[in-house]
Amino acid sequence: MIGRIAAVVLACTLPAGALGAQGLRNLSLDAGVSRMRFHSAASGGGEALSGIAALGRARFFVGQFSIETSYSEGRLVPDTGAARYLVDGSVFLAGRPVSWLALRAGPHLRAYVTPGVTERWVMWEAHARVDRPIIAGMLDAHVEAWLALSSTVNVDPGALGARGGQAGLILRLWQSPLWARLTYVVDQAKLKSNARTETVESVLFAIGLGGR
Amino acid sequence: MKRTAAVLALVVGILAQAARAQTPAERLARGIRAYQDLDYDSAAAAIRGALAGSGRTTLSDSGRVRGLLYLGATELFRDHRDSASAAFRRLLLIDPRYRPDQLVFPPEVSSLFQDVRLATRAVAVSVQPVTQITAAGDRLVVWLYATSYHPIDVTLQRANGALVRTLYQGGAGDSLPVLWDGRTAIGSPADSGHYLLRVDSRGSDGQVVRSVGLPLEVATLRGDSLPWPPPPGATLFKPEHAAGGSGVSALVTGLVAAATVVALPSLVARGSSGSGDRFAVVGALGVAGILGFQSLRRPQPIPENIAANLALRLTWQRQVDSVRTENASRRRTGRLVIRAEAVRVLEAP
Repeated sequence: MIGRIAAVVLACTLPAGALGAQGLRNLSLDAGVSRMRFHSAASGGGEALSGIAALGRARFFVGQFSIETSYSEGRLVPDTGAARYLVDGSVFLAGRPVSWLALRAGPHLRAYVTPGVTERWVMWEAHARVDRPIIAGMLDAHVEAWLALSSTVNVDPGALGARGGQAGLILRLWQSPLWARLTYVVDQAKLKSNARTETVESVLFAIGLGGR
Repeated sequence: MKRTAAVLALVVGILAQAARAQTPAERLARGIRAYQDLDYDSAAAAIRGALAGSGRTTLSDSGRVRGLLYLGATELFRDHRDSASAAFRRLLLIDPRYRPDQLVFPPEVSSLFQDVRLATRAVAVSVQPVTQITAAGDRLVVWLYATSYHPIDVTLQRANGALVRTLYQGGAGDSLPVLWDGRTAIGSPADSGHYLLRVDSRGSDGQVVRSVGLPLEVATLRGDSLPWPPPPGATLFKPEHAAGGSGVSALVTGLVAAATVVALPSLVARGSSGSGDRFAVVGALGVAGILGFQSLRRPQPIPENIAANLALRLTWQRQVDSVRTENASRRRTGRLVIRAEAVRVLEAP
């Protein structure tokens, strides 16, 4: 798991190294851990799992646009039911029309892996995020909401839709490229006919380098 | 008969009075004319009379030199070789660089003059009337012109005779520059006061045969150090802090974000009450909002103005350092004004 995260970070670091100091300004890397809770509700019952996941994210900026990739993986231990692994990845194209607003869109893949069965979700999402400074240049708060424009899942009766949101804060060290973020994320995906809803909550803490 | 004698006496008296009324320059001119007319006795008498003038009726140095030259030539042709040599020696003591014009005087005159010059040990001193020593390389330049090659000592003395510094010891030929940097023997700048630059000419036996002195008045320039540059005026500095704001926006931002975290599960995931973990984020956002509220109420630094003010202070500090360095250099160098007076003969045979 850690190896895959490192691979994501490394893949994004290589172009930064080639770009040197200029690249560090155009590149942002962060990695951390998240405390995750999974809750599934179905007419026939539900299950709840929790665990720790490792995550990594890389963003490359070109002007007002950026490409963002993220990957996380963790083992969820059940309160009731079987344990499973959660693997989550996304690639987004983002734009910032104004300084306080960012819009993102792209594919988001999520898989729940249990022995013998893997549930795969593929969602094309649109995100809107608002950033506001609390202390300029030092503390920023952000709120983000997203909606799946289309979603598929390899489980019957198929995906109905998904949406989610997050809020948190970013602390930047004075005159340093280092920063840290603490974010609460929640999303919910639904199967057709309200056969089941799957909710994932996480509180993540990550330390980052570079970026704008 | 008595009447004739009276008239004669009157004429003689008038002539004698007329003769006494002649100026030394006129007598010298009369003597030179007599020399040119080969009337050497009359020439010698007239020239001696011209040279013997006293008080306000004396010849200038150039006139005396000219008179001595003609007197020497006259005495030579009167077969008074010693008198001729004495006249030439007196001439050389006045102007060691003087040479007779070979187009005017015959070779035997030039030859005797050359012999006398080689046997005479004297030095003429030439210096600018005023010399300023204001920088490390400045010097007082004293040119010495010797009649003939001989050893000399050049020393600087206080008015009371105390030795300040020996400037030169050695041989002096045709011309020799002697330099003084305004310092004493121990390297400190000379004090204000009267000094004497003494030139001793030594004979072949090492004894001083002639000394001349150049009185110097030395004035140190105090208070000529550069003034400290004035510090930048208060109006040049930009304000380094902006007035504090209300901080409400920071507090609202933090609280709204915290409230969003609280409400997110119900907004996004209906049917989910949300985990208690999220309250860690709620707390962090709340604390951040309060910190922002407190921080923004304080005066906020303006980095651009702080940098500009720092640059202003550094520029002034560099100017102060430059002035300090320059003043220290001037103190080490010593700024002197040296005024030279007329050379006078101190000892002569």
